Amino acid sequence: MPGFLRNQKIRNILLQVLFVAAVLVIVVGGWRNAQQTLQAQHIVSGFGLLEKATGWDVNFSLLPHSASDPYWWFFLIGIVNTLFLGTLGLALATLIGGTIGIMRTVAHPVLNLLGRSYVDFFRNIPLILQVFFWYALVTHLPAPRNAIDFGPLTLSSRGLYMPALNVGGWYLAAAGLTLLLALVLPLWLARTRRISRPPEERRGLVRGVLAGGILAALVILLVGRDAAGPLISRPELQGLNIRGGLRIPPEFSAMLIAIGIYGGAYIAEIVRGGFKAVGRGQTEAAHALGLTPLQSFFRIRLPLALRAMLPILANQYIWLIKATTMGIAIGFTDFFMIVAVTINQSGQTIEAIAILMAGFLAINLTLAAIFNRINKAIALKGNQLRG
Amino acid sequence: MTRSDLAVSIAAMNKYYGNFHALKDIDLRVEPGEKVVVCGPSGSGKSTMIRCINRLEEHNSGLIEVLGIELNDDVGNIDEIRREVGMVFQHFNLFPHMTVLENCVLAPMLVRKTPRAQAEAAAMRYLEKVRIPEQAQKYPGQLSGGQQQRVAIARSLCMEPKVMLFDEPTSALDPEMISEVLDVMVSLASDGMTMICVTHEMGFARRVADRVIFMDRGEIVETADPETFFSAPKNERTRQFLSQVMGH
Amino acid sequence: MTDTSPKRTIANTPPGWFDNVRRRYFPTPIQSVISILGLGLLGWILWTLLNWAVFSAVWDGQASPETCRAAAGACWTVIAQRWRIILFGLYPFDQQWRSALACVVVVAMVVLSCVPAFWAGRRLAAVWVLGTGLFYLLMKGGLLGLPLIGEEKWGGLALTLFIFVATCLIGFPLSIVLALLRRSELPVISKGIGLFIDAVRSLPLLSILFAFAVVVPFMLPGWLQTGKLYRVICGAALFFAAYQAEIIRGGMQGVALGQDEAAKSLGIGYWHRISRIILPQAMRNALPATINQFVISFKETSLVIVVGFFEILASGNAAYGTGDWTFAYREVYAFIALIYFVFVFSLSRYGAYLERRMAVGTF
Repeated sequence: MPGFLRNQKIRNILLQVLFVAAVLVIVVGGWRNAQQTLQAQHIVSGFGLLEKATGWDVNFSLLPHSASDPYWWFFLIGIVNTLFLGTLGLALATLIGGTIGIMRTVAHPVLNLLGRSYVDFFRNIPLILQVFFWYALVTHLPAPRNAIDFGPLTLSSRGLYMPALNVGGWYLAAAGLTLLLALVLPLWLARTRRISRPPEERRGLVRGVLAGGILAALVILLVGRDAAGPLISRPELQGLNIRGGLRIPPEFSAMLIAIGIYGGAYIAEIVRGGFKAVGRGQTEAAHALGLTPLQSFFRIRLPLALRAMLPILANQYIWLIKATTMGIAIGFTDFFMIVAVTINQSGQTIEAIAILMAGFLAINLTLAAIFNRINKAIALKGNQLRG
Repeated sequence: MTRSDLAVSIAAMNKYYGNFHALKDIDLRVEPGEKVVVCGPSGSGKSTMIRCINRLEEHNSGLIEVLGIELNDDVGNIDEIRREVGMVFQHFNLFPHMTVLENCVLAPMLVRKTPRAQAEAAAMRYLEKVRIPEQAQKYPGQLSGGQQQRVAIARSLCMEPKVMLFDEPTSALDPEMISEVLDVMVSLASDGMTMICVTHEMGFARRVADRVIFMDRGEIVETADPETFFSAPKNERTRQFLSQVMGH
Repeated sequence: MTDTSPKRTIANTPPGWFDNVRRRYFPTPIQSVISILGLGLLGWILWTLLNWAVFSAVWDGQASPETCRAAAGACWTVIAQRWRIILFGLYPFDQQWRSALACVVVVAMVVLSCVPAFWAGRRLAAVWVLGTGLFYLLMKGGLLGLPLIGEEKWGGLALTLFIFVATCLIGFPLSIVLALLRRSELPVISKGIGLFIDAVRSLPLLSILFAFAVVVPFMLPGWLQTGKLYRVICGAALFFAAYQAEIIRGGMQGVALGQDEAAKSLGIGYWHRISRIILPQAMRNALPATINQFVISFKETSLVIVVGFFEILASGNAAYGTGDWTFAYREVYAFIALIYFVFVFSLSRYGAYLERRMAVGTF
C-alpha cells in the first residue's frame, strides 16, 4: 500500500471523490445511452412536449378538458385528480380509522373484537386486490335501465349520478376556488399575527370575507349558468344511458372505497398505538383530580395521543397518497395514468417520468413539510413524555 | 531516557470541540510500568485526554507518541497503537450478544489471528485472574455491574496490551461492588502493567499511583507523587477539589 | 371495578364464569346495550358471510354457470374449474407439479427463516440462496431432464412468490449497504445517499416499477440489458431497500455508542466492527419493523400486474374475466384474498409474537 493511502484524511477525500465519480458515471452514462437510443428510434426529446395538444381525452376531471388541450394542462388535471382522490380518501380513511381505533382503546370486549376483526381482515389483503374487488362490485351493479334510485341519487354500473348545477366548467372551477378561499382565508385571518386589530374588528373582517366570498361564488355561478337549461340538472334515463347531473364514475368510487377502508385499518392501528403511548400515570392523575371519564378522554388522553401518533400518521398519509397511483389498474385518470398514457402516445418516456417524479416529490415534500409544522406547533415543550 | 522508550508521550497537545478549547497544551510522559492517576472535577477534560491516546478522540495539534509510534492520520499507526493499548470504560461496553468467553476471544481471533483454542485458553487464564472463570458461558446481561467490569478488564488483557487506560472504571458501580474491581486493578498494577487511570477513588490513588495528575478546565494544573499531592498540594484549585472529594 | 359486591369480599371465592361474563359484558346498562348491539352486528356479519360462502353456496365442481348464477350463495365451481390458471398461470399443464413444488420450496424457506436457530447471517444467506436456486431450477428447468420453460410462461402464485423472494434477496443486502453508507462519517457520501433514499421513498412504488419496465432499457448499455421481469424485480428491490435501510439505520441508532468505541479500543477493524458488533445488535433491534416491511413488500408484489405480469391477481382476473364466469368475480377474489391472507396474517402474527417476546427480554 503506497504511503499516502495510509493517511486517513487523504483516504476519506479519495473515497468521497470516488463516490461522486461513480454517481456521475452512472448518471451521465445513462443519459448518453438514452440519447442514443432515442435518436435511433427517431423520438423527439425535450420539454416542448408540454405545449403540444394531446389528441386524447380523459374520462374524469374536475377541470374542463378536451383532446385539443396541451399536455401541461393534462398533467395539471392529473395532479388535481390525484389530490382530489387523495384528500377524500385520506378523510374517509381517517374517519374510519379514528372510529375503529377509538373502539379498540375503549375497554369494551365486544367493541374491541369488532375493531380487531376489521383491522385484521382488511390489513392483510393487498390494497390492489381490494381495488379490483370494489371495481368489479360497482361495475356489476344493474345497468342504467334498471338503475337503483335513492331519492335524488341514481346508482348503476355506469356510476353514481347526482343532481348538479348547470354551469359551465370554467365558471364552476372559479366558483369552487372562490368558495375555498372564502373558507380558508377567514381561518388564517382569525389567527394571524400580521394584522393587529382589536378582536371585534377582526371578527367583523372575518365575517365580511366569508360572506363576500360566498356571495362572489354565487354570482360567478349565476353568470356562468347555461341559459338554455334549468339551473339544476337532474340525471335522467335517455335511451340506454343516463344523461344530465353529475356522474361519479365507478373508477373513482372503487378507489375511494378501497383507500378509505384499507387506510382506515392502518390508521386504526396508529390511533390505538397513540393511545397506548399515553402513560397510565396521566390517566390516573386525571381520575385522581376528579375529571369525568369523558373529560379525561378529551382533555388529557386525546391531546397526548394525537401528539404521539402524528409523525406515524404523516408517513401513512404519504403512503396513501402514493397508493392512489393504483387507479391505473382500473382506469382512473390520476396523475400516474396520464403520465403512462403520455408515454404510450408520445414515446417521450424520460421527460414524462421526470415530470411524474417531480410531481410526486412536490406533493410528498409539501405534505411532509405541513406535518412537520403541525408537529412542531403542538409538540410538548421539553421532554415531558419521556420515561 | 529517550522519547521512544516512553510508554506514552504527549507534548503540547490541544483539542477543540468547535470553538470550545477542551484540552490546552497538555504535556505528559508516562514511563513503562508507571501508574498514573488522573483526577479533577467533571468536565475538566481528563476523559478526553486519555481517549486521545487511542484515537477515540482526535487531537487538533501537538504530538502524541505511544510506545514510540506517532499517533497521526496514518491508519496503520492507529491500528497498531490500538492493538497495544487496552481500555476499560465507565459503562463496561461489553458486547451484549456474545457470551463472556466470546467477548474475550473475539479481538485476539480477529486482530491477532490467534487460533480459537489458544485464544480460549488465554481468555480463561485472564478470567481466572479477575476471579470469574465460572461465568465464562454467561451473557453480560446476566452478570452484576462489578462482574461485568471485571470481564471488561479481562477482555482488554486478552489482547496482551502494554498500556491500559481506565476511564472512570468504578463510577457506574454500586458502592458494594467498587472494591472487587479495585482489587483486580491493584493486582494488575503489582504485575507491572503501565496504567493511566481516570478515577475519583483517592484511596486507590494513594495505594497504587506513582504519580497523581490534577486537571481542571482542560489544563494539567498539578503533578505530584501521591504523598505530596494529598498532604501538600501546591495549587489553590487542587486544594479546593481535594477538600470537596475528601471532605465527607 | 368500584362496585365489588360485599358478599364476594367476605367469602373471597373466585368469581364463577357467570360473574365474569356479567362483569365483562354487562356491567352498566349502556355497556350492556353496546354489547348486545355489537354482538348482533358481529353475528349478522358472520351469518351473512357463512351463508354466502357455505350454506347457500354451490359446491358441485361440474355445475353449469347457469345453475351457479341462479344460486343465492357463492359459486365455488369457478374455483374448481379454474384453480390451475389462478395458481400456475400459463405454465404448461403437464409440468405444473414443478410450479407447485417450487411454491412449497419458498414456503419452507420462509418457515426456516423464522426459526431462531437460523438467525446468523451466513445460515440465512445459505437458506435463501439455495432455496431461490432450487426454485429457479424447478421453474425454469433445462437441466436434470426438466424441459426448459421461459419466464414469460411463469404465472400465478409461483410468479408472485418468485418476485417476492428475488426482491428480498437483492433488496436486503442492498439495504444494509445503503444504511452503512448513510451512516458514513464522510459527509458527501452520507448526504448523497440520504438524498437518494428520501427520493426513492417519496415516489410511489408503481412509478418505480414502471420506470424500470419502460425507461431503464433506454438508459442501460447493451451488455446490461435483461428481461423485463428482472428489471422490475430490481426496481422493487430498490424500493424495498430504501425503506429497509431506514429501518436498519434506526436499529443501528439503538446500539450504544460505547459498543463501537470498545471494539475500536480492542483494535478491531471497520468491517469486523460492523459485521460482528454493530449489525447483529442492530438487526435484533430492527427485527419487528423488518418483518413488517417483508409483509408490506409481499402485499406489494401484486402491483406488478400494472406493468403486465401474469401474477396471481392477473391470473385471477383472467380466470373469471372470460367466457361464462364473468359474474363470479367475488368467488375468485375471495380465493386469492384467502391465499394472501394466510401468508400475510401468519407472518404478521409471527412478528407480533417476536415483539412480545423481545419486550419481556427472554431472547
